[in-house]
Amino acid sequence: MSERSQPPVHGFRQVDEVEWELPASARADMRVPARVFADRELIGQIAADRSLEQLQNVATLPGITGAALAMPDIHQGYGFPVGGVAATAPPDGVVSPGGVGYDINCGVRLLALPLTAAELGGRTEALVHEISRRVPVGTGHGGALKLAGAAFDRVLVQGPRALLTERGVGTEEDVEHTESEGRLDGAETATVSERARVRGSDQLGTLGSGNHFLELQRVVKLFDHPAAEAFGLRPDQVAVLIHSGSRGFGHQVCTDYVRTMDAVQARYRITLPDRELACAPQSSPEGRRYLAAMACAANFAWANRAALAHRVRESVARILGPKLAEGTRQVYDVAHNVAKLETYAGRELCVHRKGATRAFPAGSTEIPATYRNVGQPVFIPGSMGTSSFVLVGRQGAMERSFGTVCHGAGRRMSRTGARRAITGAELRHQLEARGIVVRCPSNRGLAEEAPFAYKDVERVVAVVEQAGLAGRVAQLVPLGVVKG
Amino acid sequence: MGYRWVEHTAEVELEIEAPTEEAAFNEAAHALGELVGDDLRQEWISREVSVAADDRAVLLAHWLDELVYLAETEDLVPDEVERIELSGHGLRAIVRCRRGNPRPLVRGVTYHQLSFERADHGFRATVVLDV
Repeated sequence: MSERSQPPVHGFRQVDEVEWELPASARADMRVPARVFADRELIGQIAADRSLEQLQNVATLPGITGAALAMPDIHQGYGFPVGGVAATAPPDGVVSPGGVGYDINCGVRLLALPLTAAELGGRTEALVHEISRRVPVGTGHGGALKLAGAAFDRVLVQGPRALLTERGVGTEEDVEHTESEGRLDGAETATVSERARVRGSDQLGTLGSGNHFLELQRVVKLFDHPAAEAFGLRPDQVAVLIHSGSRGFGHQVCTDYVRTMDAVQARYRITLPDRELACAPQSSPEGRRYLAAMACAANFAWANRAALAHRVRESVARILGPKLAEGTRQVYDVAHNVAKLETYAGRELCVHRKGATRAFPAGSTEIPATYRNVGQPVFIPGSMGTSSFVLVGRQGAMERSFGTVCHGAGRRMSRTGARRAITGAELRHQLEARGIVVRCPSNRGLAEEAPFAYKDVERVVAVVEQAGLAGRVAQLVPLGVVKG
Repeated sequence: MGYRWVEHTAEVELEIEAPTEEAAFNEAAHALGELVGDDLRQEWISREVSVAADDRAVLLAHWLDELVYLAETEDLVPDEVERIELSGHGLRAIVRCRRGNPRPLVRGVTYHQLSFERADHGFRATVVLDV
């Protein structure tokens, strides 16, 4: 049986080898089709939870255009599925805080160290240990960059550039090598609650818990040599991948505005199949205020990852020497949870990415000049202990997915299911037996992130490549992992 | 009667069954304490919590939001609800908390599948936490 003759899955018909679609007519309240990028194996896994139902719910949002899209790492979330993409057309199209999520601008940053794994040799454990000592993983009481008043506000408006100019954190190149240069326009500090400020005041430069991590990696394979050269990646090179977000600050911003939006649904005559999709027109006072507050949280998250990168460089300086710390370059930093105004086919749209990554192709003026000939770097972390990939955005993303690709492997097993299958101690032992250094204070948290709880990252990456959304540049494997 | 964690691919879904509304809020506090409690010390502190909402389901979400906030900003893990008063649109409670090093696990108390309704022997509530 050929791929094209596969039977529908939950009503989704196969469009081509890596795309499935449910027409808008499938449900009375859907305004656009629902579309999933997946192969036959992945669509089967995706159909095992409520992801596809949640994607159909997204297709009901007022002002949604094109289709409600899902990346191959999609899994059940709350409101939006994780791995979901929705573009709405201003001014009447809505913005939904739940469509961005509580961890606003959760994202990843890749640092490339100027040495190979062979050169690092026996110092791997010392480096991972030093990073774990310097990076606060908890709520942030101790070790965080404490900011208050006007200094805190400048971070909300300017992002990591405020830390660079006022605290000497990071470099000018770091800022340039960050999506949107680490600063969303329109941030208004007056739209942020006092409670968000309290939660964020001592959490800048903290990793957090759950699926957040910091991983020491090495490049094991290059696929696209010109792009790898542009990104400064070489065989056996050591790299550090940082995965964190806007911490309690962003969580509170989302909480505040889900409440706000929930309270005004009737005023805007919006009826939704899921209360967490609460939304308001972008042009409404509530919509504008949310976008201004979300920009503050996004900028905070980029500053947070800048502060974490600073801790990594301090660790490199202590273990490997200041020269190697100075030579540690930021390849790029991408957001996973954000809503951004972008132009497609001459129309400005508000693109919600919930667990998805922007992936602009070569030629885009939105990406750094140094990468403009090859395209935007994209990082796809695998599950703990498995490969991660560096990709590069392709033109197909602009045509098929509002400039978006996946953001990871995507969960396929619940946290309790993972804990039933393995203990943290067992997993720690397995990883260490493979030579991976593990620093994680919580055995429970470790078990919940077990590799088998996620989809096969190589299959996920193969789908987005086959769909023409992005191309593989490099494959990296872990040397050590630090988790909250 | 009590609470249980329901399978969810990525998040944490809490299901509560209790004989009274007050008991349901109490169960929610216990569940959160179990979820985030870590490195607990022999130090108990009571805090007054006051929240308001137009319906019981949202009141439950706001109640959990307050307890998450206490855990994150003061390292206080709910241990026992000493007193709870429910009115038409609000809740006031005294919560005995234990000082500890709570896991910074809960990112948000979502409105996804949020419910609070009468059941055969009392009340049933569901809430999904973003973790």
